[in-house]
Amino acid sequence: MRFAALIRIAALVAAPVFAQQNIDLSTVPPRDTVQLTIYNSEDLTLVRETRTVSFKQGINPLQFSWANTLIDASSVQMRIKTQTDKLELLDTTYPHDKPQMLYWNVRSTMDGDASLEITYFTSGLSWAADYVCVSDPDETKMSFEGFVRITNSSGEDYENAQVRLVVGTINLVEKIQELAQRGIISQEQAGEMLREGAFTAKAPMPADARVFLGKEVAGRMDFAGGAGAEAKQIIKEGLSEYFIYTVEGTETLRNTWSKRMRLFEGKAAPFHIQYRYRPQEYGEQLVRMFLLRNDEKSQLGLTPLPDGTVRLFRNNGKDGLSMLAQQYIKYVPIGQEIELNLGPDPEVIHECILLRGYRDNTWFHRRTANLYYNPAQGHQIKMDDQVSGWDEHGVWTDRIRNYRAKPIDLEMRRAFDGDVVFHSDLNPTLHDYRTVQFKATIQPAEKKDLQYRVTTRNGYNQKEQHVTLEAGS
Amino acid sequence: MLSCARPAMGLAIALASILAAPLQAGIKLITLPPRERVEIQLDNPSVTLVEEERVVPLNAGVNEVVFAWTNTQVDKESIQFRSLSDPENVKVLSTSYPPNENALTWQVAAPKAGSAKVRISYLIGQLDKSFAYEAVAAKDEKALTLRQYILLHNRANEEFGVSGMWPGFGERFERPIGTNETKQLLSSKFENVPVRKVYTADLSEFGYLDAGKQQLRVPMHYLLKNDAGNALGQFPFMYGKARVYQDDGRGTTAFLGEDWLKFTPRDDEVRLYLGVAKDVVVKRTLAKRDQNRVLGNLFNYDVVVRFEIENFKDQPVTLDIAESMSALRREILGNDTGRPVEWELMTDTPLAEMLDKEKTTADKLLFHVPLTPRGADQQAAKQTIDLHLLIKNEW
Repeated sequence: MRFAALIRIAALVAAPVFAQQNIDLSTVPPRDTVQLTIYNSEDLTLVRETRTVSFKQGINPLQFSWANTLIDASSVQMRIKTQTDKLELLDTTYPHDKPQMLYWNVRSTMDGDASLEITYFTSGLSWAADYVCVSDPDETKMSFEGFVRITNSSGEDYENAQVRLVVGTINLVEKIQELAQRGIISQEQAGEMLREGAFTAKAPMPADARVFLGKEVAGRMDFAGGAGAEAKQIIKEGLSEYFIYTVEGTETLRNTWSKRMRLFEGKAAPFHIQYRYRPQEYGEQLVRMFLLRNDEKSQLGLTPLPDGTVRLFRNNGKDGLSMLAQQYIKYVPIGQEIELNLGPDPEVIHECILLRGYRDNTWFHRRTANLYYNPAQGHQIKMDDQVSGWDEHGVWTDRIRNYRAKPIDLEMRRAFDGDVVFHSDLNPTLHDYRTVQFKATIQPAEKKDLQYRVTTRNGYNQKEQHVTLEAGS
Repeated sequence: MLSCARPAMGLAIALASILAAPLQAGIKLITLPPRERVEIQLDNPSVTLVEEERVVPLNAGVNEVVFAWTNTQVDKESIQFRSLSDPENVKVLSTSYPPNENALTWQVAAPKAGSAKVRISYLIGQLDKSFAYEAVAAKDEKALTLRQYILLHNRANEEFGVSGMWPGFGERFERPIGTNETKQLLSSKFENVPVRKVYTADLSEFGYLDAGKQQLRVPMHYLLKNDAGNALGQFPFMYGKARVYQDDGRGTTAFLGEDWLKFTPRDDEVRLYLGVAKDVVVKRTLAKRDQNRVLGNLFNYDVVVRFEIENFKDQPVTLDIAESMSALRREILGNDTGRPVEWELMTDTPLAEMLDKEKTTADKLLFHVPLTPRGADQQAAKQTIDLHLLIKNEW
């Protein structure tokens, strides 16, 4: 059974404040406006609503209640917006026997209407981004559409709400949902709970937070059409460390429904294809990557891309689509590269083959003298001497076959443990102290052997813990 | 009264005439445009994409188009709506998802009243594919006809009617797809594909047929090269079961066996294991194992692996001899050092001439040895072939 959720403010008529009366008379002024600011990093929404209330001279008690919703009672605030010189909020009371309710006493020196603004935090409203990309048959450009989907599980219908969506990680010391369930607690109780470690505090936001340029009013969706057929703009602007999307006009968000809207569209974003071998990132396989950049050149770059699922298709040239990849991407700042992993490609074959292994530079340990000897340095080796150090050489090839119609760009990364020398003529670089990176281009129908020799210094010979690059094979 | 009700299922698209009406609203007028065309994209190895086209009547302004499904596993997140007839102007403004229903509502903007051809795409579960192969070899086993089939398993509780399909290679084709059907669809046929029968002696991979007599299990494979020179090479072969038949010369075929055809890129070889060849007898012994001290506790091992081979067939055959170096070292040392084996192939035996340099790696040596058929007296000549190796720098 679904509980009827209700957020309401009631002006109590002729009721002595907090008297234990069983019969009340109240009027219920509706919302004039409501604005939702929904954060996606936490289960948090800031609701800002306005209501018009009639006041009479003297003390006016107001009751605000939020049965069966997920509102944090401690966050509810009321501000008088009009007639501010004639109205004054005297106090706020949370009755002990009515957990989802509070009373305000407003002193008025007039008879008439005034507008009140009520703000509070609620949980249960969330939003997420997702992206749909369609590559052209030649795999050089793709359309890149971003969407936002808002889900309302807050227990409350929000009709004709102005919706703002916040991208960024906000700091909360307590979960709103827990606060909503707990209701109001005293400062002493809160302090007690803090001392007991009931809350996890995070570092506060820096005071000198950077402000994004909020210059563009973009993401325009230019539909021609009849009355009401204009797509809503979603205005994107930076605010401190966050980015805010504001949906043009108002939206009705019914409880338990979700709604998806287009955020932006890049019609022909150029991209680059690279084949990558990075076992630590993609597993033991050569994967095909589509790489593009969140910038103006790609007809993107108007906004950072929030975390979300990308669904990548290709126009297969046969009047249909091919599903290439479905991947969750993390937040992509403006200007950063977007990396889409298509997985292994049956038309590009990679084999890593050890062609030959051998050992040399052998050192022997003589226990009786606790000394080390190497025959290559003219030392005499005795029968009881034990191998204690040696160089292990492996001649490897990364054999690549390209059956695609275009040349492919390849980037290989190989990580090694220990004291290693990487000998090759592949112009390698070090990605980090133990990972070698090299690149190649493989022509259509070409089979290419990328050969290298790996020398691992073992035992007594090991002096370092990193890879050294050397030319030659 | 008994009734035979059709199970509730299927995908439906509806055009609601009331603007902004929630899906649960009690009274509404809807039109149900049927599918005009269905394409089932089978090219992704793990998911199936369905694309269907419908002609939707739209009013000027904002229209509500409802897409609903029951008893099918449509991935709700994957559903896309595209206008084909007027993609610039007929567009989705927003999408609403009602609670606890397999449905969504698109708010579609149209510049003028009229019909719009739209394509709806979605990923669907329980509609998947696998591959199967059938090879019919000629009586002389020199060539075969290879057919590739797609097995389409439709457990998606949905009838798609005549649908276009594309497996990611070859030609697109059309077939009707009914509810809960499995269909075997011929996707490619290759004739006169040269086939080679290969007999393999590889202790580390296939073991002994009779360990007491040190007689190796010698499997027979059909080998097809997936390249243009061998009437193939148009695309990589995907994993699937292959059944092999042979023309028996009497107008019918005999079943020779079946094997899993592994993923085979272009230019690689398809190997189909058809059974143990008991007419090719190979015994393998260690004829020599000399341990020679190099220095200190460092040793070389002089090893001869002897193969005594008899071909009782009336045809000449080629025997592939493969020898794993790490397995051989375990055999001669009794343990595994974990280090790569440093070996040298000695050239004082004829086998060294038969080394396949392209396929030999640091760990596995491969030789191709031609065997003569049995004699007219029905006796097989015994060939003794030595593999002479130096296993170096072990301790």
